[in-house]
Amino acid sequence: MSTFVNYLNLEPWRFILSFGAVIFLVLNLAAVLTMAERKTAGYIQLRFGPNRVGPRGVLQPMADVFKLFTKENVSPNRADMWIFLAAPIAMFIPAALVWMVIPFAPNAVVTDLNIGLLFFVSITSIGALGVIMAGYGSRSSFSLLGALRGAGQMISYEVPLILSLLGVIMLTGSLSLMDVVKSQSGGFWHWYFLPQFPMFIVFYIASIAEVKRVPFDLPEGESEIVGGFMIEYSGMTWALIQASEFASMGLMSALTTTLFLGGWQPPLPFLDLGNFDWIWFGLKTALIMFTFQWIRWSVPRLRMDQLMDFGWKILVPVTLIWLFVTAGAILVF
Amino acid sequence: MAVTFPQGDLTTRLERYLESFQSQHGIEETEIEGNVLRVVVEPGSVPSVLATAREHLGILHLSFITVVDWIGSFEITYELLDLRGGVVRVKATVEGDEPVIGTVTHVYPTANWHEREAYDMFGVAFAGHPDLRRLYMWQDHFDHHPLLKSFEITTRRTFEGLR
Amino acid sequence: MIGEERRTDNVSLAGRESGRLAAPDIRDEFGLETLDMNMGPQHPAMHGLLRLILELDGETVVRCDPVMGYLHRCQEKIAENRMYPAVIPLTDRLDYFANMHNEHGYCLAVEDLLDVEIPPRAEYIRVLMCELMRLASHIPSIGFLLLELGAFTPILYGFRERERIQSIFEAVTGARMMFHYIRIGGVKADLPEDIPEKIWEYIAGLEERFQSDFVDLIEGNEIFVSRTRGIGKMTGEKALEMGLTGPPLRCTGVDFDIRRDYPYSVYPELDFDVITDDAGDVEAAYRVRIKECLQSIRLIKQTLEKMPEGEVMADMGRRLRPPEGEGFGRVESPRGEFSVHVVSDGSDTPYRVHYRDPSFANMQLLQEVIPGHYLPDIMPIMGLIDPVSGGWDK
Repeated sequence: MSTFVNYLNLEPWRFILSFGAVIFLVLNLAAVLTMAERKTAGYIQLRFGPNRVGPRGVLQPMADVFKLFTKENVSPNRADMWIFLAAPIAMFIPAALVWMVIPFAPNAVVTDLNIGLLFFVSITSIGALGVIMAGYGSRSSFSLLGALRGAGQMISYEVPLILSLLGVIMLTGSLSLMDVVKSQSGGFWHWYFLPQFPMFIVFYIASIAEVKRVPFDLPEGESEIVGGFMIEYSGMTWALIQASEFASMGLMSALTTTLFLGGWQPPLPFLDLGNFDWIWFGLKTALIMFTFQWIRWSVPRLRMDQLMDFGWKILVPVTLIWLFVTAGAILVF
Repeated sequence: MAVTFPQGDLTTRLERYLESFQSQHGIEETEIEGNVLRVVVEPGSVPSVLATAREHLGILHLSFITVVDWIGSFEITYELLDLRGGVVRVKATVEGDEPVIGTVTHVYPTANWHEREAYDMFGVAFAGHPDLRRLYMWQDHFDHHPLLKSFEITTRRTFEGLR
Repeated sequence: MIGEERRTDNVSLAGRESGRLAAPDIRDEFGLETLDMNMGPQHPAMHGLLRLILELDGETVVRCDPVMGYLHRCQEKIAENRMYPAVIPLTDRLDYFANMHNEHGYCLAVEDLLDVEIPPRAEYIRVLMCELMRLASHIPSIGFLLLELGAFTPILYGFRERERIQSIFEAVTGARMMFHYIRIGGVKADLPEDIPEKIWEYIAGLEERFQSDFVDLIEGNEIFVSRTRGIGKMTGEKALEMGLTGPPLRCTGVDFDIRRDYPYSVYPELDFDVITDDAGDVEAAYRVRIKECLQSIRLIKQTLEKMPEGEVMADMGRRLRPPEGEGFGRVESPRGEFSVHVVSDGSDTPYRVHYRDPSFANMQLLQEVIPGHYLPDIMPIMGLIDPVSGGWDK
């Protein structure tokens, strides 16, 4: 038995198995997050949320998925079919791929790339491509507006997002996410959210913008452009877009946890659970996800010009200033 | 704010309105009843009467325009409010089956849609209106004006050509 | 539907041909073209069935042409073929978010024709119902404004309040939405015995919740302020030119309220303030609505305190045959001035009924104010007017 397990620990079986596990996790994450989102919304809005399918409505995601699978996939008559159908895939794959470099526990990571952060930055940039493909392919003026907004927003907010990573990279001296987590060991006062607090806030805000959620959900803009780039999608293509949004939301929470909240490191040293440290990782990620949802149901949406102003005139200068502060501090101490 | 409201006692104010209407226009019939000054004028002088009301008397609000189809003639009512209790009701009667009357959109811009509605429902043409399209009904293949008394409510004839 | 396809093409063509609505030609400068966009009628933020033909330069609107008629039922024609009392349930379908005011306006017009004395208790009940209706319309409309800005939660808080008021209406009138309660000559039935107590209880609860749920939650929100301040800005003169009434007019600083300036029913005996605000933008309209809710609460308390005993219906006879002539009714509905003009030829059906609905008149603001704003600003401007589809389409 143990030889079999050891055999599985060899490449390429280890990679295949763990990658399969991560994809399974991502797909299920979307379902769980839909449910969580609706329950959170329900309790914020003084109602129950879904409570009919299964005990307390926990089987609702299954019913949703079943409905979406059986639904006809309607596409506009004049749509550019290849681009239209490829867009959800182009959105989902980058969101799922970055999970490869996220360390879940001391030994649980698909591949510990030594350029993990660079990998993350380059792969998430591809996400904007899917949005443009969806908007262009569906040949609708609402979609086009949504896609243009989405492209502008995602590219602009990538700048503060990347800049806010630099402080962590400077402190760690490595691009590997494993090294980032390891250098935060020894209690929560060693986590990077304290020395890098402005960067933490900027990263958090920019990641909300990156996953296109309220108050930065302009590409969707439910009340003005009725869904934006995804207006013409239905059935499973729509479900795939939703899944990719939730996957990237989970991804951003996981990255925030990894970079600033110590990843799988326990908050106090004596709480170390050994191989079960992924529990800490899960708890912290869930907390960040919950704050995303909390914000979503509490505030209105910004306008495009205000969004751009906020990104370029506030977030970018803050990160630049704190970058210099960090560099100075490293030089001095 | 540049908006000035009329001052003073209601009855003296209505009498002042009446005097200045009478001095400047040919008025067919007038009557003060309660807070309402009813003025019946020639259809041709409606725009100038309303211009007097707005520019000289400072009656700022045109409430609505009603058209009544008295078979053979159309009675058009302009309801003006001076915002402080006084009502000026200008009435004009247009004869004929294809009535034409001057627009008041240059005096009261809000008359725009009220006149479009009247045109849509009665076929009253407002000469000089900047944008006299149908407001509610189909733009073409529908030659009826539904509120005319000659228009019967029968589905078949109404929607002929639209199917 | 019938004629839909033809309509699509012809409206936009007609819009372009007429000189006034033509867009400024910006194509020469950079060789760019504007984008034509068709917003509505199936659009979540269009308050029912409104279609806006927009011409966009980037995200800036250069031309806005409202097209309506998707809910037109020709109520005025139907009313001509019905007896006087049978028109009241039709008026419920006009502004279906504030039906009591429609009924009240129509009944005032017919009573003006008939010259009938209304029992004082009926007048008080009417005012009580109208003010409850104003609350039930203003509070969700604040939620609508926030919904259009992208915040989903306040609308549900608003509908919670409307729901409770509707329960009161249900107990009084037997219906939740289409009441048919105010009748010519009075009201349908006296209040049930426990209703005043229920209203007191509800008002006390509302006063507790109002500040936290609708003022503190919204007013100071940075994003709300940046989305609404200075949007849809207009002066009082401009607002009067466009024929605005109600909160959209009062938010520009024009002090005009039918309840005070053209008093009807028992409003002269009651004590209330007319709320105005100087800013004339969406935020000001929101503030005006908030303060008007408080005034409505004040009025409801006064009507409950002063409510006299007695009959609730005047003796109207079996069949109404008003004398020849015309009657006018004018009420302050939550959206502005609701007027009814009834012409009688002496028979038992009205010869002509004309409704002046505030949504209809206020909507003229769209084509004047929207050009120059960004596309997302259309939604708060719609929230400023807060039109109702049944109102503008009659």
